[in-house]
Amino acid sequence: MDWGKVKFFLGEVLRNFTRNAGMQATAIGTVAITIVLLGTFLFIRAALAGLGGQLLDQITISAAVANNASNAQVATLRRSIAADPRVASVEYVPKEKGWADLRRRLRGQIDTTLIPGNPLPDVFRIRARHPEAVPSVATSVARLSGIASVRYGHAEVARLLQLGDVLRRIGVGVIVLFFCVAGIIIANTIRLTVFARRREISIMQLVGATNFYIRAPFICEGLLAGLVGALLAVVILGVARATIWPKLVSALVFIPLNSVSFQLGQMVGELFVIGGAVGLIASWIAVGRHLRA
Amino acid sequence: MLSLRNVSLVYPNGVHALDHVNLEIAKGEFVFLVGDSGTGKSSMLRLLYREARPTSGEITVDGIRVDRLRRNRIAALRRHLGVVFQDFKLLVDKTVWENVAFAMQVTGAHTRDVMRQVPRVLDLVGLAHKSRMYPGELSGGEQQRSAIARALVNNPKILLCDEPTGNLDPVNSNEIMELLSRINLKGTTVVVATHNQSVVDRMRRRVVRLEEGRVSTDEERGYYYLGLGQGQVLSG
Repeated sequence: MDWGKVKFFLGEVLRNFTRNAGMQATAIGTVAITIVLLGTFLFIRAALAGLGGQLLDQITISAAVANNASNAQVATLRRSIAADPRVASVEYVPKEKGWADLRRRLRGQIDTTLIPGNPLPDVFRIRARHPEAVPSVATSVARLSGIASVRYGHAEVARLLQLGDVLRRIGVGVIVLFFCVAGIIIANTIRLTVFARRREISIMQLVGATNFYIRAPFICEGLLAGLVGALLAVVILGVARATIWPKLVSALVFIPLNSVSFQLGQMVGELFVIGGAVGLIASWIAVGRHLRA
Repeated sequence: MLSLRNVSLVYPNGVHALDHVNLEIAKGEFVFLVGDSGTGKSSMLRLLYREARPTSGEITVDGIRVDRLRRNRIAALRRHLGVVFQDFKLLVDKTVWENVAFAMQVTGAHTRDVMRQVPRVLDLVGLAHKSRMYPGELSGGEQQRSAIARALVNNPKILLCDEPTGNLDPVNSNEIMELLSRINLKGTTVVVATHNQSVVDRMRRRVVRLEEGRVSTDEERGYYYLGLGQGQVLSG
């Protein structure tokens, strides 16, 4: 390994990088903003996917048993529901158990001791073999005597998934736009650097430097701008994760955000790759144009 | 070593820089290209180091058909050549040593070779003691010697000089020409495009005169003006 060569090369990259500090700062800032947006978008997508998946899993028909129903009636109801071939499972949840479960879920979010008594009815939780069968099963169950009411959240789930889809498309559009902007800014920065160093480049060409040798420092410069931008973005996202996220979780108690995994650590690698790639591609194009000219 | 056969160069603006030029330069020769401004001296050099491509004709440099050379082979050609300009083309933010080393470093030379070769050429051009100085701290002659050192550092077989004394006073001009002579004695083919009548007349080398893009005269041990030394022109 020729360390002298490496030192010369890195020295050239660093010298050029610091020489155009103003423009580099603009490029880095744009990459950082783009990646923060990307990070936020990835999170929102993960959250919606998580919620959607959870809610789809939870498409259970909740059939409330009439208050005056006897144990024998409950047993009969259970048998007749379970006999339906469209039904995958049926579970009887007495109101005491239901109330205990709910209190456990809301622990730390709502003070349930303020609610007097047990507001919940006894319910059957019924799962259909296929989500499409849910409405017809619900209708059949509702007709059974001893069932007070039947609820299922299918419409909400469908709306949620639709909303997620729309958000995803808008998000992709915005991100693509920002990456184009970041790419153009980096390319222009590099082009200015190339212009400022045209004398040096012409001398390099005169003494027989290959295009790779001429191109490489600029490419590294673009790569560096992209990576520094990504680093800045990761720091911003990390701070947001530590400060804003806990507040969001406690503010939106009815959305089970706790269960949504927002692991910044897993994303860091991807964000760096993306930042670096934007810088690399943009500078490659910018220098390539000059060398061809 | 260098050969131009029926070479013409027409610039996109329609100017005919060279018109069916034929010229052979042998290995180890020292040749002056002389002529008024715009007669095609610089254009001929530009063709030789493939800064320009001929409109027609064949150009061979050290066995390489330069007129047919693909873009990605230009760098390899230029490693066979050293090029020196009137305005030196030194990098002002690098020292003499760094300027010379730069020519090796950007061609991927090993640091060991750079450390060995740079002091050698700086010594040859008489600048070893000023290697840490920046171009702005040097005289014109010293800057040109730095540029020559840079042109020589990759051991080229051919040295092309475009008005190397154009910015220099007579004393420095003579020193540069003596340096080029010494380099030539070591076996390097030297081609100098110049306006400088006194150095041409003093050196008495081969003189190729260009007029309107054509070779008008070609003399062994010639003068700037055909058959006439400087003294004769002045007295005549």
